[in-house]
Amino acid sequence: MPDNNLNILVLLRECSDPRPPAKVITRGAGISERGLRRIANPADLSALEEALVLKDRLGAVVTVLAMGPQRLDDLLHLAASLGADRCIRCWDHGMDGGDATADARVLSRLIKILAPALIFSGSRLPDRGDDPVPALAAALSRIPCLAAVTELTLGNNNVKALRKVDRGGYQEVAAPLPCVVLFEEGAVPRYPSVEAVTAAVATGVEKWNLASLGLPFWEVGASGAILPLAEFGVPRPDPIRVVTPDAQLPAFERIISLLSGGIKSREGRLHSGSLDETVAGIWQILVEEGVAT
Amino acid sequence: MMFPNLFSPLKLGTVEVKNRISFQPHLTNLAVGNLPSEKQMYYWGERAKGGAGLIITEEMSVHPTDMSYEKLIDVYHPEVIEGFKKITDYVHQYDAKIFAQLNHNGQQGDGSISRLPVWAPSPMPDVLFRETPKEMEPEDIEEVARYFAKSAIHVREGGFDGIELQFGHSSLARQFLSPLTNFRSDEYGGSLENRLRAPLKFIAAVRKAVGKDFPLGVRMCADEMIPGGLDLAQVQEICAQLEASGLIDFMDLSIATFYNLYLVEGSMHTPLGYTIPLAAGVREKIKLPVFCTGRINDPVMAEKVLASGQADMIGMCRALICDPHLPKKAFEGRLDDIRYCIACNQGCIGRIGMNKLLGCVQNPAVGREKEWGEGTLKPAAVKKKVAIVGGGPGGMWAAKMAGRRGHDVTLYDRNENLGGQVLTAMKGAGRDEFGVIIRNEKSQVDKSGAKVKLGVEVTTEQLLATKPDVVIIATGSVPKEHPVGGADGPSIYNVLQVLNNEAADLGQNVCLIDYDGHQRAAATAEFLANQGKKVHMITSSLFIGAELGPTQDLYLTRQRLLQKGVTFTPDIAVIEVGGEAGAKTVKGFNVYSNIWDEWGPFDSLVLAMGQRVEDSLYMSLKGKVDELYRVGDSVAPRKVDMAIWEGHKIGREI
Repeated sequence: MPDNNLNILVLLRECSDPRPPAKVITRGAGISERGLRRIANPADLSALEEALVLKDRLGAVVTVLAMGPQRLDDLLHLAASLGADRCIRCWDHGMDGGDATADARVLSRLIKILAPALIFSGSRLPDRGDDPVPALAAALSRIPCLAAVTELTLGNNNVKALRKVDRGGYQEVAAPLPCVVLFEEGAVPRYPSVEAVTAAVATGVEKWNLASLGLPFWEVGASGAILPLAEFGVPRPDPIRVVTPDAQLPAFERIISLLSGGIKSREGRLHSGSLDETVAGIWQILVEEGVAT
Repeated sequence: MMFPNLFSPLKLGTVEVKNRISFQPHLTNLAVGNLPSEKQMYYWGERAKGGAGLIITEEMSVHPTDMSYEKLIDVYHPEVIEGFKKITDYVHQYDAKIFAQLNHNGQQGDGSISRLPVWAPSPMPDVLFRETPKEMEPEDIEEVARYFAKSAIHVREGGFDGIELQFGHSSLARQFLSPLTNFRSDEYGGSLENRLRAPLKFIAAVRKAVGKDFPLGVRMCADEMIPGGLDLAQVQEICAQLEASGLIDFMDLSIATFYNLYLVEGSMHTPLGYTIPLAAGVREKIKLPVFCTGRINDPVMAEKVLASGQADMIGMCRALICDPHLPKKAFEGRLDDIRYCIACNQGCIGRIGMNKLLGCVQNPAVGREKEWGEGTLKPAAVKKKVAIVGGGPGGMWAAKMAGRRGHDVTLYDRNENLGGQVLTAMKGAGRDEFGVIIRNEKSQVDKSGAKVKLGVEVTTEQLLATKPDVVIIATGSVPKEHPVGGADGPSIYNVLQVLNNEAADLGQNVCLIDYDGHQRAAATAEFLANQGKKVHMITSSLFIGAELGPTQDLYLTRQRLLQKGVTFTPDIAVIEVGGEAGAKTVKGFNVYSNIWDEWGPFDSLVLAMGQRVEDSLYMSLKGKVDELYRVGDSVAPRKVDMAIWEGHKIGREI
């Protein structure tokens, strides 16, 4: 049954690729930009896929939202190429430095304005783990939030969800609409066609800022944050085990043995004799070393 | 940023140091009248300007019985405070922290300067100074602790940011800790607990004097590197106990002692970063920030040490004597511009050990920062056309300095490569790092705008045809053609011919006549021994390598030569060489007994018997150009330090 009134809002977030080793910056808190690769959060893409499946089945309207600077437009273009109907990027320099509560205020305002029936996003991020923003926004908007969802069934004015609980168990829960659903990474996002990718680049991304949300700057960003950063420490890398060399060795040889980590290089041997003796000698060495038999 | 770990801040007690580069304590001989001097202010200030996060001053003497070196600061006199304030204010303007190192050298000194007996845990003479010390009475230990405290107050009032106590290679505290120097049977000797008692007393006294909020650290000897002495396992235990006392904020490390001074300041033959495993070993046991020092002359290596958790702070000493601005250049990613230390030890330890002012072969400005430091090079008032002949170190420095000042400089060399005699010297056994001198200057010559013409044997006429305002001759020196009777015979070569593989029939049995005493002879002998040749060395000195002592090359060089089967005959004045090719003989007499003798036959002879100036171009240009100068070996054959010194000076003055 097509439901043209079903509006789904999908929140897309970026995360850093956890595969290449990341470096923590030592001045302030954060991850060093050097060698960092940013990717779309895989669980968010699964959530988008779930939304697009509902669109295919029921004709829902899928709006994709990203909160952050201009580079997130790439994520939105990807979502558009996959079939999202509307792309919104919400950013304002006033939002910079916000904590989860400040960002949740922005998201809950967006939920209020867009009034979707379902808000989808990923449950976890591979680099940071949990992100409390969607749950906090749900609480601010006084709507339920289902996390760690693996399957979703749409009912009449409600949803039923299968969610992961501890010890590998599953739980089925129901919630009225509107509600926030956070998916586990599961559904494999579809591949966009080349035409869709080309078309998506041309599709405009709507840019919203604090003025379009009607939010005062002191409620968001660094000034709206209630979680101050007191101190930031970097863990000491594990020290390297050092073998204490034999104290009876002459000093310079101890240095060499320390630097080699206790491994002694094999010394060469000098043989002299006629050609036949040399050949026999080499053969003997090879036999002794187990190279020849 | 290229070096995120190296340029991350580190907290030492209550003080935050902006990066992980510490200019390590070392003697400078720059103090005047046992008080801080202006030269020291500019010397340490230049390193602060260059970006080092922390500067630890040279050791300062806390007690009258410790005057091992004539030009130490006597920090127990209140008069030092005024000078300290000037130094610390000057350093602080560059956002660097400066700690003072306090020390009592104990038996590692003598009373010839102080005219007092030296004090030590036990009446055991030091291997280097060889003076039997007075065994300290318990009151003496209390007195030294009081003097440590008194000195610490002067340091704090003088505006320093922290204190380091020297418990390392040369210190009374280490003598208490080491079983080799502490034979006491009272509460200060015997068990580790007892041996730690006096050092802990010094720490506690200083901590009480300066208060809780003042960074205080210790420089420990990580390993005495001698059988029966402190080894890493014992030092790990000592460090853990010092940390547990809760009195100190950081652990600086040194290595070895005077039994094996060649490891305290490892020379070119010692591997880069030779102490890193020891720092890692100490860091394994304690949580306090650990310093690592010892031939870390490269920010890339420093970064690696920090990233792999082997140390928390990189101590650079010779690296920053050689290039005070290394930290700044590393921060800006200008690795090409860094002048790397080559650990030749000629200018630093080689001069300090002889009671001369600190210097550096590659950095003439050491100790003269006020006149020659960063920012003192002024553009030339009159731009001149300068021709420099000879692309050795002297010529390169002259070209670089003159080029930077805006002169129109052309540097000629007949070789295909810049470097002069360094190109040959670096071929000596284990001397390849000497070639870094060329690497350091080559790019600077290019950047100065000087034009370099290689492969050009320039003549007087050609030079005059270019109508230069200034000509600088840096044509170097060549081996003396006839240093001894019979030297023009067959199968006789000089050191340069050998190293450049121009000696055709050296044979297997070679005799090297060493009138040099330095690496020119020793590294060539080893070069030959490495080829499996049997080498015999004859010298008029008391022993082979007589000039290698101050640079800490003597021990290891002689060790290697002996291991490689090189034999020595000292005390011989060589008067004549002779014999046919393949059966060469050496005639001479013992300089003490005057008894004549003959050595041989040898397959060939190699002479290291002095150089003569190559000044033909200079002589033919005399009177034909407005300004004519010569630098380096073309004035008188000496070592590379003087070539660089004179090249630098003339480049500044023309």
